[in-house]
Amino acid sequence: MLAAVAFYAFSAVLIASAAMVVVARNPVHSVLFLILAFFNAAGLMLIAGGEFLAMILVIVYVGAVAVLFLFVVMMLDVDFARMREGFQRYAPVGALVGGVLLVELLFVLGSWRFAPEAPGLRLSPNPGATVGNTEALARILYTDNVLLFQAAGVILLVAMIGAIVLTLRERPGTRRQVIAAQVARAPAETVVLRQVPIGAGLKNIGILRPPPAAEEREALSEPERHGHGGGHH
Amino acid sequence: MMNWTLALPEAALACAGLAILGAGVLPRRHDMFFPISMAVIGALVLAGVLVLGQGDGAALAGQYVSDAFARFSKVLVLIGAALALTLALDFNQTDRDLARFEYPVLILFAAIGMMLMVSANDLMTLYLGLELQSLAAYVLAAFNRDSERSAEAGLKYFVLGALASGLLLYGMSLVYGFVGTTSFDRLAEALTAEHAASLGLVTALVFVLAGLAFKISAVPFHMWAPDVYEGAPTPVTAFFASAPKLAAVALLTRVLTQPFGELSAQWGQVLWLVSAGSMILGAFAAIGQRNIKRLMAYSSIGNVGYALIGLVAAASADPAVRSEGVRALLFYMAIYLLMTIGAFAVLAAMRRRGRPVEEIEDLAGLARSDIGMAVWMLVFMFAMAGVPPLAGFWSKLFVFRAAIEGGYVWLAVIGVLTSVVAAYYYVRIVRVMFFDAPGAAGALDARPASLTVVMAATGLFTALFSVAPGPLLAAAQAAVAAIAG
Amino acid sequence: MAITLAHYLIVAAILFVLGIFGIFLNRKNVIVILMSVELILLAVNLNLVAFSSALNDLTGQVFAMFVLTVAAAEAAIGLAIVVIYFRNKGSIEVEDISTLKG
Repeated sequence: MLAAVAFYAFSAVLIASAAMVVVARNPVHSVLFLILAFFNAAGLMLIAGGEFLAMILVIVYVGAVAVLFLFVVMMLDVDFARMREGFQRYAPVGALVGGVLLVELLFVLGSWRFAPEAPGLRLSPNPGATVGNTEALARILYTDNVLLFQAAGVILLVAMIGAIVLTLRERPGTRRQVIAAQVARAPAETVVLRQVPIGAGLKNIGILRPPPAAEEREALSEPERHGHGGGHH
Repeated sequence: MMNWTLALPEAALACAGLAILGAGVLPRRHDMFFPISMAVIGALVLAGVLVLGQGDGAALAGQYVSDAFARFSKVLVLIGAALALTLALDFNQTDRDLARFEYPVLILFAAIGMMLMVSANDLMTLYLGLELQSLAAYVLAAFNRDSERSAEAGLKYFVLGALASGLLLYGMSLVYGFVGTTSFDRLAEALTAEHAASLGLVTALVFVLAGLAFKISAVPFHMWAPDVYEGAPTPVTAFFASAPKLAAVALLTRVLTQPFGELSAQWGQVLWLVSAGSMILGAFAAIGQRNIKRLMAYSSIGNVGYALIGLVAAASADPAVRSEGVRALLFYMAIYLLMTIGAFAVLAAMRRRGRPVEEIEDLAGLARSDIGMAVWMLVFMFAMAGVPPLAGFWSKLFVFRAAIEGGYVWLAVIGVLTSVVAAYYYVRIVRVMFFDAPGAAGALDARPASLTVVMAATGLFTALFSVAPGPLLAAAQAAVAAIAG
Repeated sequence: MAITLAHYLIVAAILFVLGIFGIFLNRKNVIVILMSVELILLAVNLNLVAFSSALNDLTGQVFAMFVLTVAAAEAAIGLAIVVIYFRNKGSIEVEDISTLKG
């Protein structure tokens, strides 16, 4: 009974927030509703017994994907006031088509039945209550599914290459930290010990350097010359 | 069952990819495009050699299969990827954004994805291979990041591709829910004709077909192709039109003939419509095009339609017709792959004062300024139009013969009629090259040597195929025996 | 009123249709389209977990885990493409995506 109440609560919030994702005018609101939808989907998965997946959904989606969305929405600095409300024009037709699709799906799914052979065809039956969900998944993930695990790794690598290659720009004139140059500096190049007579002014003994000449200033603006610390922007 | 050495080509290519990626990143230089490209071409060739030495069997808990069909497709995929990269060697170096070393690395990872697709023996392997290829392709489409058209092509491709993956996945989840397994072997065992009436299964099949039809840009899921082909940089378009298309058609063939083989009455009719629609659209929509990359997009939609005739014949109840159909399909795709890369090599060579040009009129008078390139283009266009004795004639002949033997006479009639219509625009290009006076803008730039190599290799194959058709036919026959025997 | 498989499938189907609806009817913002794709994948994951539970088989959960991985990669690439599109166009309105036509 408790499970049923929780199921209906989670489903209702899930569907409502998913609808809000689609219709909200402000993309920031859409992202926040997306996060809410993920939380509730995780709740549904918990009820269905997919504990590990529920946790992963919260960590990966809410922790990474949704935050990424939020970051991009805010970074792009879209002028929301200018955004047209172009929804009404197609909404009735769309709602009709979507409704028909939904009714057809409900018709098919409402009376779902398995192939009679299905129980015998399972590849990795649940090992039972003695083994936790996480351990059971781990046992097959790194053994039977090692090919897929590696392929998923390559997919993430491609995503990383792709995101970097598309968005990273090396602007000329940026000052970056060159750690090797920092480490290679010897004290003799940087520190000068002076005997300062008592009462002598700084100007008298020449500690203040004259301003750098024009060509020296230009040379300094090359990124390679900025070996000293604190040069990263 | 953990015999991972069977998957040696993929493993070796992945390791080579990681090493090459490191070699590109570490020197911190900006001129790594050419050396990294050569390294990737070397790795693709090496993988091809390893594929030729691959044995038969399933491995890695039955999720990976190596058979003659997979090897045939893999060799072609690797040839296609290597040629598409060769085609990019010169083109990309004229643009600072395109000449980044990640370009060949992404092609390499896409090639791994395609190899997994054709070797998939499980719905999960299928999905991951497809996504690996698609994700690399989305990035490649948008690779020229300062070009508005390239970014737009990438965005369109991504949105529609992600939607197609969603449809495919929803279908696959229903298949899993119906049968309780994702393995192709067990699916083939379970999905017998008596389940054909199950509404859930048919719904699942519809979703899977829709998702895969998108990936091969067949009607009615073709709408992304012209925009993406036009907007993406030419070498990327050449890549999209060749290897990924062949891999997706091979994947579709394996999925439909093996796990869903018993449901052929259901998918055969759908494919009949898809095939006829693609042929008709490809022929008529291309007529009005002025941009030659857009024209090639419609041409590729039409070519997928012709190839699918073979798959329609594979739905037949007669085993002889079935294997004839699959053989015609493989044969068609192999010849299409080489023809289309050759044609794109000519497109990539179309530059005027260093800037790429893409209109058909830009080819005017090519025969006077560069007779060699004009002759190669003539070979590719006549071959695509199906003029004997070029390779394209035989490939069309085989699919039409398979259709007639399977009793799909109307499909063959539509195929012949649309070929005639399509011949009109192929011949128009030839006419522009040979008989139109050069425009006021002047002649095209001299073509670089790397493109000449691609044109000559694919052109000689296309022109002289009739001399020695034996090896390709024998290889296709062996491939068919593995899945439709 | 026990919770059966059909309940889960229906919730997932509603989510799926909402996602499709969001893709086709959105005329405002490309990022919302990417979020709709995430909704579709969430629907698939719910389906897989529900079937996995009903069949008492772990394959569905493994599948769902890979779908999650790919969805994260897809989101990263999609957003990167949106960013370069915005840099070129200065807009992410869907109706502006029409330079390529024919």
